[in-house]
Amino acid sequence: MEVQKEAQRIMTLSVWKMYHSRMQRGGLRLHRSLQLSLVMRSARELYLSAKVEAHEPEVPLPPVRSPDPRLHQSREAEAVAEAAPPDGEQPSPEPMDTREAPPAEETPARCAPRPAKVSRKRRNSSLSDGGDVGLVPSKKARLEEEGEGASAEVPDRLQPPPAQAEGAFPNLARVLQRRFSGLLNCSPPAPPTAPPACEAKPACRPADSMLNVLVRAVVAF
Amino acid sequence: DIISTVEFNHTGELLATGDKGGRVVIFQREPESKNAPHSQGEYDVYSTFQSHEPEFDYLKSLEIEEKINKIKWLPQHNAAHSLLSTNDKTIKLWKITERDKRPEGYNLKDEEGKLKDLSTVTSLQVPVLKPMDLMVEVSPRRVFANGHTYHINSISVNSDCETYMSADDLRINLWHLAVTDRSFNIVDIKPANMEDLTEVITASEFHPHHCNLFVYSSSKGSLRLCDMRAAALCDKHSKLFEEPEDPSNRSFFSEIISSVSDVKFSHSGRYMLTRDYLTVKVWDLNMEARPIETYQVHDYLRSKLCSLYENDCIFDKFECAWNGSDSVIMTGAYNNFFRMFDRNTKRDVTLEASRESSKPRAVLKPRRVCVGGKRRRDDISVDSLDFTKKILHTAWHPAENIIAVAATNNLYIFQDKVNSEMH
Repeated sequence: MEVQKEAQRIMTLSVWKMYHSRMQRGGLRLHRSLQLSLVMRSARELYLSAKVEAHEPEVPLPPVRSPDPRLHQSREAEAVAEAAPPDGEQPSPEPMDTREAPPAEETPARCAPRPAKVSRKRRNSSLSDGGDVGLVPSKKARLEEEGEGASAEVPDRLQPPPAQAEGAFPNLARVLQRRFSGLLNCSPPAPPTAPPACEAKPACRPADSMLNVLVRAVVAF
Repeated sequence: DIISTVEFNHTGELLATGDKGGRVVIFQREPESKNAPHSQGEYDVYSTFQSHEPEFDYLKSLEIEEKINKIKWLPQHNAAHSLLSTNDKTIKLWKITERDKRPEGYNLKDEEGKLKDLSTVTSLQVPVLKPMDLMVEVSPRRVFANGHTYHINSISVNSDCETYMSADDLRINLWHLAVTDRSFNIVDIKPANMEDLTEVITASEFHPHHCNLFVYSSSKGSLRLCDMRAAALCDKHSKLFEEPEDPSNRSFFSEIISSVSDVKFSHSGRYMLTRDYLTVKVWDLNMEARPIETYQVHDYLRSKLCSLYENDCIFDKFECAWNGSDSVIMTGAYNNFFRMFDRNTKRDVTLEASRESSKPRAVLKPRRVCVGGKRRRDDISVDSLDFTKKILHTAWHPAENIIAVAATNNLYIFQDKVNSEMH
């Protein structure tokens, strides 16, 4: 139990750090993001194995996904800028794509198995704020369908727990949501000047999209 | 402002520092003079200039910090000095010249430069050069921009004195000093799918003598020696230096603390020095399996990694340095301490860079961190270390026992007047 708590604490800490690192001058640092994601991954694995031991039989062991650096996937500002992200499957340009590599998270595409299909939708990239909608029209449209209508920043605002982007762990996601609902209600620090794409934190959201948002929080970076 | 880099030039006559505000301050060593025995080769400010300004990348909506990440001096070929300074994205070549004479006695202009009334000119004179107060002029000669997508972490001038390389998290570019609109990519570790990213480049340096060799370190703690003669793209290393992890030391944070924050070739070119969070290691270019020497910088922090993660100190990037003869290595630590290790005698010392202990000509007193057990009078306990006072940047004079230590926004220069084995 102690181990679980400690792991959880570290996961929460890591997520906070990832969130704050976006606000730094100079943008996200790839190396820092990578290091945070490595710690997150270790903490998550520890948490999950502790959880499994603490008899939650229905939670399957995490498939070892390719390392969190996957979070960095959306790094390509150039890719996003050059071509309207074509592919819906692609774990794509997260909001952070125009910045330094986003920290660790699983891509939304990975959430596909989740009951709420909305999680498959890619989040809006920060590019589309500023009127570059033409570059990523499809994403924005999807987001609007979802009713999320928020920028990538939003999930950040919800300040999520070390999210579990795995669709395979609905229980864990619920546990995290329960535990961290307090965290969700506390607002992150006053938005710094930096990311122009930041939007106001949504006042309230339906529960299921909150879960999705939680799940995608990791990606938010 | 907070000093972000310190570098002696090749003769040690000049010392350059860069800071977070994009400024470069150059110090010059005063020649020792018999008349003023007290100012025995002390360093005074020679020139100050603004190297980089904050910029905004509109495409990515990112501010580009003006902080100077690295300064490297070019070897001197004429009366002028040149150095390269870089921030996260742009490298600049600066030329530093002295002017100590000015022409006087123009025919058409008077002393203030105003045109003379021609009717008053009755004879012609040849303008002569008269001495003036020394003026140091710094001018940007080249700007090497748009070469990097990620943040530049190091630059290194090649021994051929014509090229240099710059490294960011995923790529290393080779530039010619005279060409600013083109660079060659020589290392690219960016995976096709960023999801597969597992390590980044943390530092790189050219070999001091072999212009075809360079080394780069990674966040996983490995070093790769590359030979530019082998291929245009040096993704495939010639040698891989990696030490297997000690399983007994494994923790959440093992991966972070094994990341190499600095790599330096020895002056001889035979060895490399690396710094990771808790140790400095000396590697022999001829042995890839493990370092030949490992020195614990502050092993007492090993049990405190979690707190250091919380206060972000675990991400601090310390530099390391060789002395001129490659017999002593130096690196910084917390509480404004810095450490030196004598490779021959295996003795080490901890010293502090602080105003109290650094009165002019005072001898630095060795410090000790006690980790429980017997505590001597002046020992500091681990828990009372000040982690906000960190020495990340240090430099050693290329020939003499003079070191420059940057403690946040103060620069300390220590000189060893007596030839002793330990500074």
